[in-house]
Amino acid sequence: MFWTGLTPDEARAALVDKDKSRRDKRCTLKEAVDAFIKDGDNVAIGGFVNIRQPIATCHEMIRHGFKDMTFSFQSSGMAMDYLGGAMAIAPDHFSIRRIEFAYWAHESFGLSPVFRYLAERGKLELEDWSNYNMSARFKAGAMGVPFLPTRGPLGSDILEKCRAKVMECPFTGTPIVLVPASHPNVAILHVQTADQYGNCIIRGTEATCPEMAMAAAHTIVTCEQIVPHELLTRKPRDIAIPFFAVDAVVQVPFGAYPTSCRRHYYFNKEHIASFHALAKHLTMEDKKPLTAYYDDYIWGVQDFGEFIDTFPVRKILEEYHSEMRNFEKLM
Amino acid sequence: MIIAGTEYTPQEMLVIAGSRVLENGKVVFVGTGLPMIATLLARKTHAPGITAVFEAGAVDPALESGLPFSVGDSRTSSGASYVRGLNSAFEMTQRGFCDFGFVGGAEIDPFGNLNSTMMGKFPEDYMKPATRLPGSGGASDMASSCERTILIMPHERRRFNKKLNYITSPGYLDGSPGARKKAGLLGKGPYRVITTKAILGFDDKTHRMKLLQTMPGETAASVQAATGFELLMDPNITAFDPPTETELRMIREVIDPLGFFVKKPQKAQVLYQF
Repeated sequence: MFWTGLTPDEARAALVDKDKSRRDKRCTLKEAVDAFIKDGDNVAIGGFVNIRQPIATCHEMIRHGFKDMTFSFQSSGMAMDYLGGAMAIAPDHFSIRRIEFAYWAHESFGLSPVFRYLAERGKLELEDWSNYNMSARFKAGAMGVPFLPTRGPLGSDILEKCRAKVMECPFTGTPIVLVPASHPNVAILHVQTADQYGNCIIRGTEATCPEMAMAAAHTIVTCEQIVPHELLTRKPRDIAIPFFAVDAVVQVPFGAYPTSCRRHYYFNKEHIASFHALAKHLTMEDKKPLTAYYDDYIWGVQDFGEFIDTFPVRKILEEYHSEMRNFEKLM
Repeated sequence: MIIAGTEYTPQEMLVIAGSRVLENGKVVFVGTGLPMIATLLARKTHAPGITAVFEAGAVDPALESGLPFSVGDSRTSSGASYVRGLNSAFEMTQRGFCDFGFVGGAEIDPFGNLNSTMMGKFPEDYMKPATRLPGSGGASDMASSCERTILIMPHERRRFNKKLNYITSPGYLDGSPGARKKAGLLGKGPYRVITTKAILGFDDKTHRMKLLQTMPGETAASVQAATGFELLMDPNITAFDPPTETELRMIREVIDPLGFFVKKPQKAQVLYQF
């Protein structure tokens, strides 16, 4: 067995040695990425497909540049497209060595041309799992146990190329899969609300964000809004991630855009589609169209605020109102 | 403004067939794409009592704010009875709360095993596949742990193969008696395969795919010709009823009025604009 990220013992030691005090953790995204992410790290990506993906942090990582990264996630859409796209057009500046994952595509918005380009040319080390496998791996990490037993992917070819083991259950005598814990070096998450200490409220699906935060050695949280601690703790059970699992809190309104964030904005479907249209040129070995996108939207801007400034107010309001309509029948 | 029920696309027929197979009062773990649309249609027609579970963690949402684009979509949370995350959803299936798993796939074999991972030689070309597909997502878990699975996909010869490039989601495995149980899987396995040409089931003994019903305009021979392996034939193959006007109206006017997911007939699109 080999471990990516931290071994269970290392993960335990990392928390023991860490300052877990309740303190103000607000900083800029650049400071957070500089401080907590290193070349060669295993980084867990929060959200689910194009729901609450940590896009602002991905953009900042791309501006910073990283080498030999491992990314761990259950299902990812635009976060992995941005990171993978950076590797496709500027491999000396940003490179991914390995991904541990269940799904990289966009559901209703189609396949990922970036993933196809990288995988079909053998540029990534792949470790396929199922969504539950990856979620259970983060959960095992969060629970402080080295593995969890699951049913899937018994009977499938996933087993042949991943580190899962099939064992005979000592109690029932039937086969069961053991999936190893995942302890990423860093988890990058986007949530709706946090306080200055890092307590987080998540609306809609939690995806696997709480488990990732608890399993990782460090967690960077971006949020739509930072609210006072006293307000956030009025309903303590609404808090999905406790402050001591978080190392940096950055308020980044629209930080998941163009993916969606419940109560704040729905998908920008057109922007996702136009990114894919540019990325499709990769398969013809033409990197210019996608490079032009990165020049305009990522490398050509100072921070994520300037990325959001490139969208017309009318379009931003359209996504905001679409999301409001997702609630209206209930009000 | 509405089109009579005589003209419809294969995709519309597929969604309608998927919807009719769903039983009222059951818990359905709904995969992304076609299963979402078919489940919504069933809820708005013959099966209002279906409980939908989505893998991102929502149980029994109202689904009144439009068709979700994702199984983690905000629209799956609005009005839901329970929302947590992926772990909770899959734990529910392992526990036995989900009567049916409803999934799509890229490639299927005679025993209902599905591939949504890669095309090309496995394991040799795993790290450099001829075509890389998205990966399991939750499909493998649904196939492992839901009590029964319903599979839905377009009927094309290249998708129906004797041997898969890669098994992502287990069906009856090699079809041998008790193969699922021996492998440690829960649930009885695939129940129906719904395609643009037919409704298929599985033989109780051999677990091989069996033709049960043909879609309007299809025959047993035409279905077999579009399948890359030999189908068993049910002694009483029947014709599947064409769409009703209510079903078409629901899809075109209520569920997917912009035609984002389900293509309308050309003529219908023109008519709809007036």
